[in-house]
Order: sequence, then structure tokens, then C-alpha cells
Amino acid sequence: MRVQAYLFYGCAIFFFAADVVYWFWSGGSPDWTGTVALALSTGLAGLIGFYIHFTIRRLERANDGPLPEDHKEAEIADGAGDLGFFSPYSWWPLAAGLSAATASLGIIFGWWLFIIGVAALLVSAIGFVFEYYRGHFSH
Amino acid sequence: MTAISHPATAPITRPRTRKGRLIVSWMSSTDHKVIGYLYLITSFVFFLFAGVMALVMRAELYEPGRQVVSNEQFNQLFTMHGTIMLLMFATPLFAGFTNVIMPLQIGSPDVAFPRLNMLAYWLFLLGSLIVVAGFLTPGGAASFGWFAYSPLSDAMRSPGVGSDMWIVGLTMSGLGTILGGVNFITTIFCMRAPGMTMFRMPIFTWNVLLTSILVLIAFPVLAASLLALEADRKFGAHVFEAANGGAMLWQHLFWFFGHPEVYIIALPFFGIVTEVLPVFSRKPIFGYVGLVGATIGIAGLSITVWAHHMFPTGQVLLPFFAFMTFLIAVPTGVKFFNWVGTMWRGRLSFESPMLFSIGFLVTFLFGGLTGVILAAPPMDFHLSDSYFVVAHFHYVVFGTVVFAMFAGFYFWWPKMTGKMLDDRLGKVHFWMLFIGFHATFLVQHWLGAEGMPRRYADYDPQFTALNQFSTWGSLLLGASMLPFLYNVYVTAKKGKKVTADDPWGFGGSLEWATSCPPPRHNFTSIPRIRSERPAFDLHHPHISGKAELPAGTEA
Amino acid sequence: MSPTRSSGLRGTRQGLGGRRRALASAGLLSLLALAATACSGEAARLGMPDPITEQGKRVLTLWQGSWAAAFAVGGVVWGLIIWAVLFHRKRSDDLPPQVRYNLPIEFLYTVVPFVVIAVLFYFTARDENYLEKTSAHPDVVVNVTAFQWSWQFDYPSPQDPKWTDPTAHPQIVASVVGQAGQKPVLVIPVGKKVRFNLETKDVIHSFWVPAFLYKKDVMPGYHNNFEVTATKTGTYEGRCAELCGVDHSRMLFQLKVVSQQEYNQFLTQHPAAGGAQ
Repeated sequence: MRVQAYLFYGCAIFFFAADVVYWFWSGGSPDWTGTVALALSTGLAGLIGFYIHFTIRRLERANDGPLPEDHKEAEIADGAGDLGFFSPYSWWPLAAGLSAATASLGIIFGWWLFIIGVAALLVSAIGFVFEYYRGHFSH
Repeated sequence: MTAISHPATAPITRPRTRKGRLIVSWMSSTDHKVIGYLYLITSFVFFLFAGVMALVMRAELYEPGRQVVSNEQFNQLFTMHGTIMLLMFATPLFAGFTNVIMPLQIGSPDVAFPRLNMLAYWLFLLGSLIVVAGFLTPGGAASFGWFAYSPLSDAMRSPGVGSDMWIVGLTMSGLGTILGGVNFITTIFCMRAPGMTMFRMPIFTWNVLLTSILVLIAFPVLAASLLALEADRKFGAHVFEAANGGAMLWQHLFWFFGHPEVYIIALPFFGIVTEVLPVFSRKPIFGYVGLVGATIGIAGLSITVWAHHMFPTGQVLLPFFAFMTFLIAVPTGVKFFNWVGTMWRGRLSFESPMLFSIGFLVTFLFGGLTGVILAAPPMDFHLSDSYFVVAHFHYVVFGTVVFAMFAGFYFWWPKMTGKMLDDRLGKVHFWMLFIGFHATFLVQHWLGAEGMPRRYADYDPQFTALNQFSTWGSLLLGASMLPFLYNVYVTAKKGKKVTADDPWGFGGSLEWATSCPPPRHNFTSIPRIRSERPAFDLHHPHISGKAELPAGTEA
Repeated sequence: MSPTRSSGLRGTRQGLGGRRRALASAGLLSLLALAATACSGEAARLGMPDPITEQGKRVLTLWQGSWAAAFAVGGVVWGLIIWAVLFHRKRSDDLPPQVRYNLPIEFLYTVVPFVVIAVLFYFTARDENYLEKTSAHPDVVVNVTAFQWSWQFDYPSPQDPKWTDPTAHPQIVASVVGQAGQKPVLVIPVGKKVRFNLETKDVIHSFWVPAFLYKKDVMPGYHNNFEVTATKTGTYEGRCAELCGVDHSRMLFQLKVVSQQEYNQFLTQHPAAGGAQ
């Protein structure tokens, strides 16, 4: 996964270089907006790259070598076993979407609607997160 | 605990006995394929809706002074046409194709966050409905152009609630896009099948990965700007106050989003064309590594060129942005040569997906050339905000998104539905679309250079002849949708089911190594992955020599 | 262009033959005329209006040169596509050589575009500096005020030492104000350096005279300006080129380039109301 980290690091370096050039070339009339936007993009790319880089280092250390998806000579059987939990179906995304829509409309039409929307959003968020830890799934 | 459990409601493999069951299963789905179909269908409906708006505008522009709609309605039409086409058609279409195809191509059972995936769809649908509901308000929909320049978009000059709904709906829908982007990046990084290294991924997957990165960088800027604009409108903020330089602040922020946005809508469709060309040329993609490098170059550069939309303001660093914009032409040219190189000395056949891909190549080339012309400020000063720009962006955007969309539909229809679309109808569709498109937009280059501004409901009589020609072209363009819709209907009713995994014969990526349509979690078995086209290696073992050899043989 | 034969061409045989010859030569002459206009007129300018300023001529040359390069590149690439479509069709069921890369060609098609854009950038940078240049002492100054949805043209007095600075509220000698749907006329003398100061108090507009081959945005909170030297007299259309509301397409004006005497006369005929802005 080094490639992924380098992809983001490369972007970060490029944005940083462009930002520096842009700031100094604008000399007399500096453009704060663009300079800040490019600087924040550098930060975003660097942050993600850093996270990916250190995650993959940890995973590769635990695996004693590259993960099967990054290993050129891997067999499909190398990835055998539990891939993870995949939700079979869920109504919480719809609930959360409707809540978000209500809250958004509340920005326009009044605080009362906004508060209803935010309350619904909180309920939906909690339901969403705890869906597979409650009831049938609780342990 | 097993990884996969089957839903209580009807899954795809069992026959659907009741419409209600189907609706319920789709509304609560967490299957990336179903969510992808929802995106594709919804965005196509928005495409048709915005297309009708375009036809109304072309009717208004048939003659000078002719009144089909009022000036205010005309402004609402082009504002909503642009907004819908870019943000409710092209961007969600990227999410749709990515959802359906990308997990299959990397050999994954689903995306990393299936419920988040569905949430992103709902945010898109509901946000877009809020935007479009502006038409139903007394003041009408937003009418300040899809870039919503301040101060025109402030509370004083655009007082209608339709404008607020535009802002708030797009913020919601943009959030959905960001969540989708997060999902796609995580899936591609973390859920590839063994042996599917980054440099063996199909180009479509690379392109949607880079598109998702652009989404992460660009969409938050849009969301922030929209919320700030709404704060100005509703809560008395002065973020975009003209006296404080608000006019330029809005433009910088909007275009910092807006330019990557047009690459967000272009890159995935470049990816689709890159999937189709090798299959119908019966050769691998030419210069894979160069293509990946060029796409990375385009994505990175697209963040640094935003102010080329602002040259006539007189407030931006002209040479920096002109230079960066010229630079983007280089990797785009590289991609072109990769595509042509794929076709070169191949064994070409011209089924519908290939026709549409070649249509894309021919059209996008011209749009790219006019783009280089516009990149030069001395010429952009005259051409900006004229029909020349309208022609340019329709060539690049329509040429890319619409042609590649249809290429993708005809190509992946058997994979998605288990039936092939009729090829003869496809050819009729292609030629009507191709001729209709060029008839509509080619003359607009001339109109713009001659001096016709964009967003004009009425014009100087000297421009009448070319406008009439363009309007006739648009009728043909609109009519070209009919053979496609008929094709979809007739295929659903009486199309023959496909039995092979790969009905086209020369598919390379993993989606062609599973059934048409695939099972709920995509694969019952995955072939060994030793190149960028594992399905081709599986189906043509004697060509590449890379396929799985019988047990006991040396690898 | 070709005349109908059916309308009243009855006559003597000689008359008919003579008529036919006359018609033929008329047809030939008109074809020649059309070809002549195509060679010298709009077609040679590839759609651009005939420039009426020194600056516009530079833009036109850059436009023509750029299209020459664009058609060359386009010709090559379209040519390759069409060649492949015609000559690399599937003729049998065997597969072609599965070529994946070719480093020399890839290197070539990466490097050559860099050269092309470098050349284009040189001319672009040179010309944009020329277009944007303003002088300390223009011959004429016009303060253009854009508003929803028409234009006001104020002519500050050269006697006022601060006449080039619109924010200094110089004394105005003449003024023309328009209304939406009307076309107020902006008058400038030929052959003189004219500075346009662009101001607005409401939304963003854009001052475009297509015959200048140039436009500049008019932005609230900013003081834009540009300078041109007109080379031809005549009346030319002007349009607002940035969406500014419901009557954006009616925010039109005209530019009249006249001799110096006519210009002086014009100034006396449109005195500013009380000298105020």
C-alpha cells in the first residue's frame, strides 16, 4: 500500500509547491483565498497520506510482509476467511437522509423545523451506529 | 460469524413476485449494485428533465424577440439546466457507475461502508428534490446562474425562497457526494482481492479513485461557501459583502470547487472509454502506466487552475493560471494517444459501446482544442461569457459524460441486467445523437466569436440564422433519446438472457469473470490475478500464459 | 443564389440564349465574389469581428495562429482515429499482437505537447501584458457605470488633475445615461488613447464591445479599467456579458468612434447634470 501513501504525499508536495509559487508570484496583490485553499488542500492530502502510510506499515509488520492485495504472486486462497460484516439491508440510511432533509429545510423555513430535523438526525445517527449492537445482535 | 447473511425481503436471485417487495428491498438495500442502479436511474431521469429545459431554451432562442418564456423564467431555465446537468446528472452518474462496477473490478464483495453508501444516495436524491422543488415556489427556482455569483445571489437581488432551496439542497447533495468519495477510496485501498495490486487495477477503478480524491478536496469548499452564502441571506452575515471584496471571494471559492468538479465529471467517463476500447480492439490498453501517470497529473493540476474562469475580472494572476491550464493539456493529450494507440493495429469491431467511445474521442478532441484557446487570456477576454464557452464546455462535458455514459450502458447492460441491449437500435441512437449534438453545438463556436453573449434570452438579429440551425439540431438531439428508451423497454420485455460471464468475448477486468448479473456478494470464485486483465487471462489462457494452471504445475 | 427558370423566361430564342449566358456569368461572378469574401472576410478571421483597435489586431493574430496550430494537432489525431477505424477493422477471428507499451513513442507524445504549449505560452504572456497595459496620461477618460440594467457614461474633464481616478470624483463634463431596452451611445475619438474606468454599485456586469475583441468585468467593490486606441470610425454594438439579473439580455449599448472634432462637439451636446455623479 505504499503506492497509495505516495499518491497522497505526491499530491501534498505538488500542492505545496504550487501554493508557494502562487503566493510569491502574486507579490503585490496576494490572493489570500487561493493561497489558503491550496494550503488546506496540502494539509488534507498530507493528513490522509500520513494515516495510510502508518496504517499500512503497522499492517505489514503484523502480516510479516505485504498484504495479499499488494502481493504480486498472491493466490486467491491467501485471502480466505472472514472478510468482514456486510449489512444485509437497513432502513437507517433512509431515516438519516429524511432527517437531514428536514433539518436543511428548517434552515430556510424556521427554527421549529430545524430543531425537529436535528432531533430526528440524532435519533437516526444513534440508530445507525448501534443497529448491529442492539436487539438480535446485542452481546 | 459468517460474513454474509441474506435479507428477509426478496434478494436479487429469487423471482420478484410483488412490486411492493421490490420497492421495499430497493429502499432498504445495502447492495452496492442496487444502490448503483438507483443512482443511474435517478441521474438519467434528471438528465432527461434538464434536457427538456434545454429544448425550451432553444425554442426561445429560435428567433430574436420570440417569447416562449419570460426573461425571468429563461434565467431559471439555464440556472437549473446547468445545476441539474452538473450536480444531479453527471456527478451522481459517476457515483452510479462506480458503485455498480468498481467493487466487481477489484474483486470485492461490496463497498467498505454499505449503509453509508445508501445514505449518500438518499442525501443526493432528497437534496436534489429540494433544489428542483424551487420551481414549485411562487418566486420560481433559483435564477442566478449555476455559479451563483455574489452579489446577484444575495438576499436583496434574489429574494425568492427557491434560491435558498437551491443553496440548502446542494449542500445536502454535496455531503452525499463527499461520503460517497470516502467510501470509494476506502474500498479501493482496503478491499482488493489478493493479487490485485494497485498497478493491476483497471483504469476505470484508477480514475474513480482519483475522482474521489478530487471530491474530498473540492466539495467541502462548495459546502462551506454555500453555507456562508445562506448565512448572508438568512442570518445577516456579511461574508460576501461587495464592499469587503465579497464578489471576488465568492468567485475564488466557487471556482476552487468548480474546476475540480468538471474533472470529477470527466475522469470516470474517461475510465469507461478506457474499458471499452481494448475490448472492441481485442488488444490490451496501450501504455497503462503512462495513462495512470497522466490521470494523476490531470487530477493534481486541476486543483491549481481555478482562476482561468475569472480572467476577465482583472483581479487574478493571469500567467500562473494560463500556464497551469496549458500544462493540463499535456497529460490529456497523452491519454488521447493512449486511446488511439489501443485502437491502432487492433481488430476493431463497431458494436454500440465502441461507436459511442469513438464518438467521444472525436468530440472531446475538439472540445480540448477550444479549451487550449480559452486558456490564453488574450483570447479568453473576448470569448469568456460568450457562446464560444457554451460550445466548448458542451463539447467536453457532453462529449465525455453523455457519449461515455451510453458506451457504459450498452457495454455493461448484460452485466447489470442479464440481457443485451439491441445493437441495431443502438446504432440508430448513436448516429442521431452524434449528428444532433454537432448540429446543435458546432455553430455556437461561431456565434460566440462573433459576439453573442451567453445567458441571453434574446439577441441581435444578425445571429438568427445560426441560432435557428442550432435549434433544429437540438430537436434531433432530443429525439435521439427515443430509440434508447425504446431499446430499454423492448429488451426488458423480450430480450434474450445472456448465459456467458463475458458476452462480448474479450473483457479484461474481473466483472467479466462472474455471472450476468452477479450474485449478491459478487463472486462465487475469483480467478488468479496476474495482470491488469485477469478475466481475459482466464478466458484466453493461451494468449497471455498467465492463467491458473492445473494443480501440480509450476506457476 | 441560382435563379429559377420558370418565371417569365419566355422570349425569343436569341433572348433565351442571351439570358442564359447572362445568368451563367452572373452566377459565376457571385461565386467569385463569395470566394473573395471568404478569403478576406469573416471566414479568414474564423468568426471574429473585424478589430477596430490596435489591441484587437493583436488578439486576432493570436487567434488565427492558435487555430492553425489547433487544426494541425486535430488533423493528426482525427487522422489517426479515422485511419484506425478504416484500416484496422476486424477481418478474421485471430487476435492482433497484444502490444502494451512502446517507450519511444510514449516519450515522444509526452514531450511534443510540452513544446507546443511552451510556444503558445510565450505568445500568450506577451500579448496579455500588451492588452492590459495602461498609461499614466491617456488622451480620453470615460467613467463607465454599470447598473441593473443599463449604462451610464461620464466624461471627466481633462482640466481636473485627478481625472483618471473615478474614486476621486473628478468634475464631469458630459454624461449619457441609458435605460433597460435602450442603447445608450458611448462616443470616443479615433486614434487616441482612451481609458475606460469600470464601476458599479450593484452586481457584477461585464463591459463587452465585440469589435474590441476584448471585455472586462465590472465588479462592485473593485475599480477595473482598460485602455484601447481605436483605429476605425463607425458605430459598434456593446453588450453586458455577465449575468446580472432579469434584464441581462437587454443591457445593451453602442460605441461610436468619431473624428476628434465630432467628439468635441459631442461633449458640448451632452452636458452633465450639475456636474454630479
